[in-house]
Amino acid sequence: MVNIGIIGAGRMGITHFSIINSHPQVIIKAIADPSGIVLNLMKKYISELNVYKEYKEMLQKENLDAVLVCTPPNYHFQVIQECLNKRLHVFAEKPFTLKYEHASELADSFRKQNLVNQVGYVNRFNDVFIKTRELLNQQVIGKVIRFKSEMFSCTILKSDESSGWRASRENGGGAVYEMAAHAIDLVNYLIGNPVKITGSSLNTIYSKNVEDAVSATFLYEDGMSGTLYINWSDESYRKPTNKLEIFGLKGKIVADQHSLKIFVKDPNKTYNLIKGWNTLYITDIFKPVPFYVRGNEFTRQLYHFVDSIINKNAYSNQCSFEEGAKTMKIIESIFSDFEINGTI
Amino acid sequence: MNSIDKIVFGDNQFFGINHMSQEKAQQLAEKFHDINNIFRIYDSAIECGINSIMLNSNDRAKEICKHFSDNPSKYGHLHWYPSIPYPHKYANMVAEKGILPTVNEVLFKENTAGGILSMLAKGSTAVLTRDAIKLMQMLIDVEMKMFHGLDIKVVFLQNIIVDLILGFDIREIFEEYCEHIRRRYKALPGLITQNMPHLINKLKSWNIKEVVICSSFNKIGYLMSPDIQSYIDISKNNRPDEFQLMAMSTLASGAIPSREAYEFINAQNLQSVVFGASSSSHIKETISLINLN
Repeated sequence: MVNIGIIGAGRMGITHFSIINSHPQVIIKAIADPSGIVLNLMKKYISELNVYKEYKEMLQKENLDAVLVCTPPNYHFQVIQECLNKRLHVFAEKPFTLKYEHASELADSFRKQNLVNQVGYVNRFNDVFIKTRELLNQQVIGKVIRFKSEMFSCTILKSDESSGWRASRENGGGAVYEMAAHAIDLVNYLIGNPVKITGSSLNTIYSKNVEDAVSATFLYEDGMSGTLYINWSDESYRKPTNKLEIFGLKGKIVADQHSLKIFVKDPNKTYNLIKGWNTLYITDIFKPVPFYVRGNEFTRQLYHFVDSIINKNAYSNQCSFEEGAKTMKIIESIFSDFEINGTI
Repeated sequence: MNSIDKIVFGDNQFFGINHMSQEKAQQLAEKFHDINNIFRIYDSAIECGINSIMLNSNDRAKEICKHFSDNPSKYGHLHWYPSIPYPHKYANMVAEKGILPTVNEVLFKENTAGGILSMLAKGSTAVLTRDAIKLMQMLIDVEMKMFHGLDIKVVFLQNIIVDLILGFDIREIFEEYCEHIRRRYKALPGLITQNMPHLINKLKSWNIKEVVICSSFNKIGYLMSPDIQSYIDISKNNRPDEFQLMAMSTLASGAIPSREAYEFINAQNLQSVVFGASSSSHIKETISLINLN
């Protein structure tokens, strides 16, 4: 059995609790959060669960194998270091850390200690994006020349005097850390890591101190390039949506979480594609998960984490800290590019 | 347990919801921007023999409910199957503000002056005793206000909440939800889930019965965890006096042709089907294809 502790009982902590509690080889031993109200509620209804206001106390007292880190992002580095000291496997929510240096240090340490490490870039476990990666790896649209990675949501629609961690970049708030991170990770996952970031711009729409929209251009050594555009104040979207358009020498892919359109210059027998446009819907490519709370990808990512622990397979994780560090590096480049070149 | 209607008319098509395609969803949202187009579809559904409606408590439901409760002579015979809450409202608010400020805002800002005193009195108790059950009952009552004056047959809790709590494995919340719906609304408690076999096994082990269970049920196993065979098996052995089963997503968002979809559904041991359609001909066709035992 894998004994798990959860640090942070916000929206993601609560969702992950529900999902991973369904895994037949998991016992959730304890949860830590500074908010007494949420903890008391949990303790009241789940008697065998231990609750802690101080995560360090939880790490000391509980006999854990693994921890899910779901605190606001500015605490991640410190919390994950403490977990490392206790030699625990760690799943951390995105954006992992707020500095590339920290991200890369953690990636090195976990690799050396052979501990399972995973970042919560959930799109890597989405049925459509898994299929997209397979098609790209099999060269179905040939060598990629250009791409667009976009993400939209209606998360921030009012200027609110918020005092929480989301209101400042220092604490990990803003559309870059919270949303662009997903669209950037998708680029890393599907296309690869750029060598240069240029043309970055950030806009505030409703927020006072953080950006609500961001765009940037990614450049690659082999001449490939792509653009990133994220807006979390776009009321025309009901749900957060990632959109990708990838142009290759033999065709084009247009994908979001629910569907994938592929245009090919020549028919492809392996994938049953006719010349021209082909549409694959999620209903054509989904694989059911053992327990559903918020979409197949959320279940799949946590089961992958636990299964990596059970199979003692730290190296083949689909979304390791090393992958998380790559995204952090790009985020830092966007901020510094904007600072240097982003104003008139 | 009172029998539920065999065919229930759903509402996803009106509110830009389509699990398969955002594009399709947007087209429908445009068509139904004018609420009169929604009322027109309801009228043709009623003409086709529909007399039961499932409606989520979203932003536009208030206006829809008012239209129906204002015309009792025309619509008084209809049975209503509300589903609560509207998950996206909460999801966005929670993302923006956090969990407790959201609860606070829903309970205290969105209430009219008349209701707020009693809410406040209950609210202070709820916060002091940190009692999730009272908090839940208050949230239910806020969501249910708009359905006042309609003949309510079942009150469904949305799958995002049901499956979350199912994962937490908390019996009391299910028990108290069912009890509150029976007592306060004189209606059957309903639970929407994407984990139907697991939910039914849990409810049985907790001795919670006489509940309506609504879940995806379709030939390709879409949104059916853990797998389609478990759904077929558990419904085959189900006693409708314990759990009445209602199928949704029977066409898997349009992936299965209707005839094929309902041939499969008609062969299962199900008590009801909820379907959505946005034209009179589709409504007629679907009604003619559904033939539950």
